[in-house]
Order: sequence, then structure tokens, then C-alpha cells
Amino acid sequence: MFNSLDVLQTAMDMARHAGARQAVTAANLANADTPGYRARSIAPFSEVYDSAPTGGLHRTRPGHLSTGQGFGSAARPEFTDADPAPNGNSVSIEQEMLSAVEIGREHSRALTIYQHSLEVLRLSIGRR
Amino acid sequence: MTEFSDAMSIAASGMKAQASRLRHVSENIANTDTPGYRRKIVAFEEVIESGRATGLVETGRVRLDRADLERVHDPSHPLADETGSYEGSNVNLLIEIADAREAQRSYEANLKLFDQVRQMSSSLTEILRK
Repeated sequence: MFNSLDVLQTAMDMARHAGARQAVTAANLANADTPGYRARSIAPFSEVYDSAPTGGLHRTRPGHLSTGQGFGSAARPEFTDADPAPNGNSVSIEQEMLSAVEIGREHSRALTIYQHSLEVLRLSIGRR
Repeated sequence: MTEFSDAMSIAASGMKAQASRLRHVSENIANTDTPGYRRKIVAFEEVIESGRATGLVETGRVRLDRADLERVHDPSHPLADETGSYEGSNVNLLIEIADAREAQRSYEANLKLFDQVRQMSSSLTEILRK
């Protein structure tokens, strides 16, 4: 399980993904009344995780060659296809609040997993 | 961490923009009965830095509503012309109240998000503390 500490890596990716999504949501909400602004969104973690390049060269050090663009760049904000209001703005405050709550839960889930894995590690080396 | 600070500054810019909009609304309401007063309107614009949309929002230039001023019939008014009427303001209280409500709603949404980002970053630092 802890051979390559993939759990920690995935939890960190998830937390980072939540942070990126939160920034996009903040931009949408701040521009909720900007004429002509089109809402953006980042795909959920499961989709991004599936589409992230796996396999290929395995990087064990930061200096090693990387095969793909890595996880972070797979999460690009995209325009949503929501219907715009008469002033060209397609932000729905309700939708954004909903996704903000979802992101908060995603983030705390990732952190809990991370924390718990660390705890298990700590226990296994005999520290409490 | 940059994402959190980004999100926080974006939410703060949204609150600032809504607050300045609310200020113009209150100016309009205060001047409802000022003769010749034209309603002030601000438009929001997304901040573009070196061709890239930052997500930050700012208020654009203040413009005056070009709608016709309301003609008030009052022969005893000092500004009344020969027909006995003068030009009032073109502020519509109903529109201003609706505008204020919209600004309040958006402000609260931004505030809520700001609070959430703060919570997320503090739970992240909580891990470091252990």
C-alpha cells in the first residue's frame, strides 16, 4: 500500500484539484454581474484523474524526464454551456454555491485521507 | 497555496465591485428629488492582464443614465419655467431597490466563498501543525 505512497500523491492531487476549482468558482461569482462574462468550470476530479496520462516513464525524482503534461495541466477551465442572460452573462449564483460546497467537501475529504495515511505511517514506525 | 490566495483576491475584488455599485445606488436614491440629477450607472468589467483573463472584476467608468428627466408640474417651484414645470431627476426608486438587492445577493455569495476558501486553507495548515 505504501510502496510508492500513491495514496498521498492522489490525495494531494485531489486537494490541488479542489483548490483550482475553487479559484474558478470564485472568478465566476465575482463576475456574476459582469456583462458578457461566460461561466467557466473544471471537470470533476474523477474525470480529470481518468484522463490524466498514466503509465509510460515512471518519475521517481523531480529531475527525471516526464512523459506527459502531468496531472495539474489536465485540469483546464472550460466554458460551460449554460444559457446566458440577456446581458450575455451565463453565471448562475445557485449553481456556483452548489459547486462551492461540493469543492469544500472534496477538499476536506482529500485532507482527511492524507492525514489518516500519515497517521498510519506514524503508527507503523512506532510513534503515536 | 497560490490558488487559495487567487480565489481570495478574486472574491475580494467581487465584494469591492459590489460595494462600489451599492454606493452609487445610494447616491442615486439620496438624489431622487434633486432637480436635473441624472442616475449614475457603473458596469462591471473583467480584468484582463497582458491578454489573459484573470477572473478579477472591477467597476468601469461611471456613466450617467441618458433617459429623459422627469418633468414635474409645480408652478411655485423656483426652477419652474413658463409652463409651470421643472425637470426633476430620472431616478426610479424601484429600479434602485432592485439593483441594491442584486448587489447584496452577489456580495453575500462572494463573502461566503471567501469564508470557505479561508476554511479550506486553515484546514490545510492544520495538517502542518501536527
